[in-house]
Amino acid sequence: MNLDNAFLQTPLFGIFLSLIAFEIGVSISRKWKFSLLNPILIANVLIIGFLTCTGISLETYNIGGDVITLFMYPVTVVLAVPLYRQVHKLCKYFVPIMIGICVGSLTAMLSVILCSKLLHLSHTMMLSLVPKSITIPMGSVVSAQIGGIPSVTIIAIVVTGITGAVTAPLVCKIFRIKYPVAQGVAIGTTSHALGTTRAMEIGEIQGAMSSLSIGVAGVLTAVVAPYILQLF
Amino acid sequence: MRILLQFAIIVGICLVGEFLHKIVGIPVPGNILGMVLLFILLCLKVVKIDHIKDVSDFLLKYIAFFFLPPSISIMAAGDEVLSQWPLLLAMCVALTIVTMVSTGWAVQLSVQISKTIKLHRKGIDVKRRAKVGSRESR
Repeated sequence: MNLDNAFLQTPLFGIFLSLIAFEIGVSISRKWKFSLLNPILIANVLIIGFLTCTGISLETYNIGGDVITLFMYPVTVVLAVPLYRQVHKLCKYFVPIMIGICVGSLTAMLSVILCSKLLHLSHTMMLSLVPKSITIPMGSVVSAQIGGIPSVTIIAIVVTGITGAVTAPLVCKIFRIKYPVAQGVAIGTTSHALGTTRAMEIGEIQGAMSSLSIGVAGVLTAVVAPYILQLF
Repeated sequence: MRILLQFAIIVGICLVGEFLHKIVGIPVPGNILGMVLLFILLCLKVVKIDHIKDVSDFLLKYIAFFFLPPSISIMAAGDEVLSQWPLLLAMCVALTIVTMVSTGWAVQLSVQISKTIKLHRKGIDVKRRAKVGSRESR
């Protein structure tokens, strides 16, 4: 029986599959509370496994997938809301926070460019990894704009976020990042929303600083990335 | 406020963002311009949080879900990713730590510098006051 026929050629199939896979991902990650079990990664494995097993093509899935992706416009726009809620906390340490986010965003981009050159990665791969420290909605459009592959960027963003969330307390301890403000900005600038949930567990200031840094770092990276890439 | 109206406000801002990107030609993706625009409108109190609260809370809560489909396209990314994935993974992990440390140090260092500058200024003030004080007492 060929499943890849007219029956599946509506958006319903992709939407249904995504909803089910994501729900399974969320319940697994809630049950075990282990950072590596990220809902997106679990759902990715499930959907790719399902499509490969049944022989349904990616194009068929994407008829529905594209409907969901359409939401990335409003989702990015409403990121202004958490930024606005935290912005009054910016005043006291405005200059250090801004310096930190600038240094962090530049390090994130330049380190990828340098590493890619050293390891002889392809140009497209390098471009896909450049926006890996910013939040998914921004990273995927920046990736597309500079000529990367958004799907690779999204996976890299998730990996970066998980790494940040898992290693943050240890990294802060080893490298003596002691100030709560410094910890928060470091976690948010590096590992966006996934790190922020961890930062909120560490402390209130860390959480607030981290969620503030997501938006600022994202906008900064989006504005600066094309110019940085022109230099190389 | 009514849900559909909330959606209308948010989608309207998206549209303006796209307009600024595609027609005006600002070299930043339209949705990011939209975010900056909403932030400005919130600061100016033209839009209040209450005007968009329900829809934005919903979108923010399930933010990861909306990016599931584009991530599935990694299926089509091809041999380059498949053959290099351990290297790419190691690179992502290592660079995450590099970025985190440099950011943290930058904040910490600039807080320390600004504190010393303040202390230094205070020190000068104290000396000056001491001088003035001693003159006055004479």
